Amino acid sequence: MIRHLFKLIWNRKRSNFLLITEIFFCFLVLFAVLSLIVYNVRNYYKPLGFEHENVWMLTMRPDTDSTALNRQTLEQIMQRAKGFQEVESVALTNSNAPFAFSQMNNELSYGEKKMMANEYLVQDDFDKVMRMQVSHGRWFGQQDNASHHYPIVINRALQQKLFEGEDPLGKLIPRNDSSSYQVVGVVEHYRPSSEYTAEEPGFFNRIHLPKNENEFYGELLLRVKPGMGVEFEEKMVKELSGISKGWTMEVATLEKMRQNKAKMAKVPMIALTIICGFLILNVALGLFGVLWYNISRRNSEIGLRRAVGAASSQVYRQFIGEVLVLATFGLVLGVAFAIQFPLLQVFEVESVVYFIALGIAVGLIYLLAIGCAFYPSRQAAAIHPAMALHEE
Amino acid sequence: MITLKNIEKVYQTKTIETVALHNVNLHIPKGEFVSVMGPSGCGKSTLLNIMGLLDEPTNGIVEIDGQPISRYRDKELAHIRNQKIGFVFQSYHLINDLSVLDNVELPLLYRSGTSAAETRHLALTALEKVGLSARTKHYPTQLSGGQRQRVAIARALIGQPELILADEPTGNLDSVMGEEIMNILLTLNRQDGTTIVMVTHDENMAQKTERLIRFFDGQQVSDAKTTAYDYQKV
Ligand SMILES: Nc1ncnc2c1ncn2[C@@H]1O[C@H](COP(=O)(O)OP(=O)(O)OP(=O)(O)O)[C@@H](O)[C@H]1O
Ligand SMILES: [Mg+2]
Repeated sequence: MIRHLFKLIWNRKRSNFLLITEIFFCFLVLFAVLSLIVYNVRNYYKPLGFEHENVWMLTMRPDTDSTALNRQTLEQIMQRAKGFQEVESVALTNSNAPFAFSQMNNELSYGEKKMMANEYLVQDDFDKVMRMQVSHGRWFGQQDNASHHYPIVINRALQQKLFEGEDPLGKLIPRNDSSSYQVVGVVEHYRPSSEYTAEEPGFFNRIHLPKNENEFYGELLLRVKPGMGVEFEEKMVKELSGISKGWTMEVATLEKMRQNKAKMAKVPMIALTIICGFLILNVALGLFGVLWYNISRRNSEIGLRRAVGAASSQVYRQFIGEVLVLATFGLVLGVAFAIQFPLLQVFEVESVVYFIALGIAVGLIYLLAIGCAFYPSRQAAAIHPAMALHEE
Repeated sequence: MITLKNIEKVYQTKTIETVALHNVNLHIPKGEFVSVMGPSGCGKSTLLNIMGLLDEPTNGIVEIDGQPISRYRDKELAHIRNQKIGFVFQSYHLINDLSVLDNVELPLLYRSGTSAAETRHLALTALEKVGLSARTKHYPTQLSGGQRQRVAIARALIGQPELILADEPTGNLDSVMGEEIMNILLTLNRQDGTTIVMVTHDENMAQKTERLIRFFDGQQVSDAKTTAYDYQKV
């Protein structure tokens, strides 16, 4: 019977061509949207590498250009911030703090290998503020003050790309000036950009204020005690403004920043899903219409099949089967096309993302086909054979 | 083979009620070749549909091989049609998207336990019987009316049914082709002993069968052996 259906569809390929193409395109759009969603969702469930709850970010913008003066004020502000009993720890960073809309990268090389990596400037207490775990080696500390090199802590993604199997600890990476970075530690994960973003190679570069005399850092991360709210925020800003005078100060919780970033990832996903939904609805209506029309055109065939021994239920199964075969033709084309993405690695996305999306898309197309065929097929099965055979 | 008792068929539409058959009593023994004649609209096709289990009578009993069929379900009726009955129609009812061979094989598709190779063999044998061995790969639209009807007959006989119901099988054909079809049916009846009930408008064709039943306005008006019957007996 299945062979019979394939033969039937194949012989009718000209009239079925449009339907097969529709299913083909519908599948491709579904595959693309699902790939994006699967990619995002999979990222969402991967560890971030830090804990953002109860962490606030204080953004400070001085009103003068005098670095010396600003540095003095900055150190006073930090002193005061550490002094609040509501604050557990603080650390300066540059503007690419977790969930911030800012990026900074740098080229690293080791031997012949060269690669771009995200660079995060952080003070020693950053690991306490963000509750980071070093899995190999150590975090920054006082022992780095005497080092000739710039100590860095790298994430696993960077280690795998740059050093592969080698132990990265103690390895030197040349800087633009004649100095070098030296790897002192490795963290398993650090994914600060957004929960929906894949982990990228990155490294932490140490802010040591006595050494970086001419630099100004405008972002201060504070870990506050659980349950701190607007009240403490107002009190803190008021006191710190008292020290800095004309500076602009702004506090945002990392939770709020996380939500903003999540929204940015979700909005296109939702928009695409809605567009995709309309497209599928369109295809579904088309499919339904064609199937419906086909049945009235195939009255004589239905009557004949009943006459030669098909039960009503067999006619029903035949029509459902035909649509499944039709969908299979479209899907074979679609899968042949879609499979190129994991094979050719067009984007830097794990193959498994494509395979999951592929599986879901195939399943959805078959469901769609069955859904559209259900009612017309029942109608076909209900056709009275004597009526259908009535000479036209 | 088949017996009709007090058959009544009424078509009920919104506006009118048509009595297509009224008080029909018939017995057709195994191996008989019967023709049915009557003016248009007198209920001949309706009669054949009821005999072929494609339609149910409003009242009355249909018996096949002594078994009343009224209590069968759709699946069982389909099974009986598949096993025992072959149909031939005026307008052939071939599936244009299937080759001659695939059209002929159709009834066996609904019969479990027949292998693909066996089916193919039976289809070729059936096509040989109707003289179309050379056209197996053709499609129905590439054939003449007479050839199409021969394909339809091959399809009707592939399952080796005991009963063939033919509704004006020569109605769309000229006299020469009609003659050919008639000869095939006569051979089937004589050689294989297939019971045949044929509706026709052609008196000459009817006279070649053994028995002729005339209908008028849904009722049998005559039922008699033909001269051909007498001739055969001699
Ligand atoms: N589905 C139906 N609904 C209503 N009336 C019908 C239906 N089928 C047939 N009839 C009526 O039943 C009567 C018998 O129809 P039938 O088709 O059996 O005639 P027939 O003898 O085969 O005619 P013809 O020689 O033209 O084929 C006619 O009056 C016809 O109009
Ligand atoms: Mg008729």
